[in-house]
Amino acid sequence: MRKAGRLCGLALLLSLSGCAPLSDRVVLLPGPDGRSGAVLVSTGQEEKVLSEAYADARVAGGRVSMQKTSAGMVRDDYGALLAMQPARPRLFVVHFDAGTSRLTPASRALLAGIRSELATLPAGEAVVIGHTDRVGAVDANDRLSLQRAVLVRDLLVSAGIAPAAVVVVGRGERAPAVVTADEVAEARNRRVEIKLR
Amino acid sequence: MAARARTCARRRVARRSSWLALAAALLLPLASAGAAEVIPPAGTVKRSAGGVTIDHAGRTQALQVGSPVFVGDRIRTAGDGSVGVTLADDTLLTAGPNSTLLINEFEFNTTTEEGSLLATLFKGTLSVVSGLIARQAPEKVRFKTPNVVLGVRGTEFIIETRGEGE
Repeated sequence: MRKAGRLCGLALLLSLSGCAPLSDRVVLLPGPDGRSGAVLVSTGQEEKVLSEAYADARVAGGRVSMQKTSAGMVRDDYGALLAMQPARPRLFVVHFDAGTSRLTPASRALLAGIRSELATLPAGEAVVIGHTDRVGAVDANDRLSLQRAVLVRDLLVSAGIAPAAVVVVGRGERAPAVVTADEVAEARNRRVEIKLR
Repeated sequence: MAARARTCARRRVARRSSWLALAAALLLPLASAGAAEVIPPAGTVKRSAGGVTIDHAGRTQALQVGSPVFVGDRIRTAGDGSVGVTLADDTLLTAGPNSTLLINEFEFNTTTEEGSLLATLFKGTLSVVSGLIARQAPEKVRFKTPNVVLGVRGTEFIIETRGEGE
């Protein structure tokens, strides 16, 4: 808000209605992969799109003026805010030995690490998400994916994770790791994801 | 029969405000036992510093790490307060000092990942990292201040508002 004075000058130039104080500011940030999405800012009077990282919309008297800020200025203005963000979800994937409900050795080794990682998160949750391939009906796969998730939940609990910290989800065949035609058996899609947050 | 008895009890109690707290304590378990499903929280508090309170079901309480956040809850931070909440769809909401944030709407189906989110920042600052709902259907995610409405297209951003009439 420290640029209110300059913004007022700009607003005065743009409209003869007078100098309205700055009411809102919206800053678009780059995502972790460097890409930014977009935000649509609408007042009763106008609508502007922020689509580039560090686009900076200033709203005064219902008018939106577009500026550009930078990583350094965001750090100055909002560093303390961003430092309080909750941890971003981290995803782990476990697989089963073919035709069994037994995790592969690599996946079993992963479970121990998951427990210690979860312990570092404040109010940490493990969301256990089961998936199937596209063999069988959608409803049956919803049930099967949930069964797989429950199986992994039980493994996590027996590894010492509090049951209350674990949530199970069955996504069925909706989110394949590898896209296939219907009724195609695909081992890489018969998996369980463990999301820590 | 039971429902009518409860309604009558409610009317009598309404006349005497001193009975309200007791009545709520007695009636709420009955009401939720009758409901088909318990409404899950919209999210969980993951970070909290300084003064942070929540208005939930007509009561104001201090907000702590691990506290659930429900639709209709209003989170307020003091001059030294800030709070970080993770919603069930992985949306990350972080409010800075002197902020008031209301979760107007939140629905999320974990199986289909469909849902909707509407939150209002009445004053202060809010950092948003959008989650799974925005990935599936960005038009279902909106944020408001007293002066603007924001549509989200899957992204990270900061909103700062001085509030109404300014």
